[in-house]
Amino acid sequence: MADGPASPGGGSHESGEHSPRSNVREQDRYLPIANISRIMKKALPANGKIAKDAKETVQECVSEFISFITSEASDKCQREKRKTINGDDLLWAMATLGFEDYIDPLKIYLTRYREGDTKGSAKGGDSSSKKDVQPSPNAQLAHQGSFSQGVSYTISQTFCFQH
Amino acid sequence: MEDSIGGSSSNDNNIIKEQDRLLPIANVGRLMKQILPQNAKISKEAKETMQECVSEFISFVTSEASEKCRKERRKTVNGDDICWALATLGFDDYAEPMRRKSRTKIQEASTNQNDLC
Repeated sequence: MADGPASPGGGSHESGEHSPRSNVREQDRYLPIANISRIMKKALPANGKIAKDAKETVQECVSEFISFITSEASDKCQREKRKTINGDDLLWAMATLGFEDYIDPLKIYLTRYREGDTKGSAKGGDSSSKKDVQPSPNAQLAHQGSFSQGVSYTISQTFCFQH
Repeated sequence: MEDSIGGSSSNDNNIIKEQDRLLPIANVGRLMKQILPQNAKISKEAKETMQECVSEFISFVTSEASEKCRKERRKTVNGDDICWALATLGFDDYAEPMRRKSRTKIQEASTNQNDLC
């Protein structure tokens, strides 16, 4: 009840970003709709279409989802006197908030992520134990994709400016 | 199952797939930061975990909405289908605010008549 998604009232001092084209507020509040649309398309049949209001609904929903999970993880960190939120905090927050089905795929992801940090680029084949709890036909479980982190981060930045 | 990517073709392919599969980490990090206290920090691991989680969430909701459209012989997923999917999947707290906003947007859309992509 006390944890509403309060926006930081007082001006964002840390965000020194340069986005001359797009509205800063819009960009700060939502994720890019083109990326969201692309992910949505993968869950649809080949001839399916997505209305603009559906994309916008998911856009808002995703921002709410991120705030929801992050807020819960932040509370945990504050109780434990820690300043940095890590992956385990997010997994804990999801379990607490009822997203149990996300935990197993993400644990697998985190394990591989940490193995990847040892600079050994040994990617496992298809050893991911997929859990078909719910009968969703297009369920795509999380798969490790952080191959070249620096490059993908750069590309993400570039994409932000282009959007 | 179907999309088991064992591709070792080229870095460009990997980068493109990475970009297609996830939302930009900078935007995700920014949204996370907005809900945090002033002195809090986010590890890169946490940002990437959230990237995965968000993509999964989008696929999850969209799949449910898509199934509804298939049963009703419709090709276009709209905002109401998304709201219905959220309610069906247990995200009731999301469904109600979305429903209100969806109505507002429908009114805007009827003015613009630019509803479909």
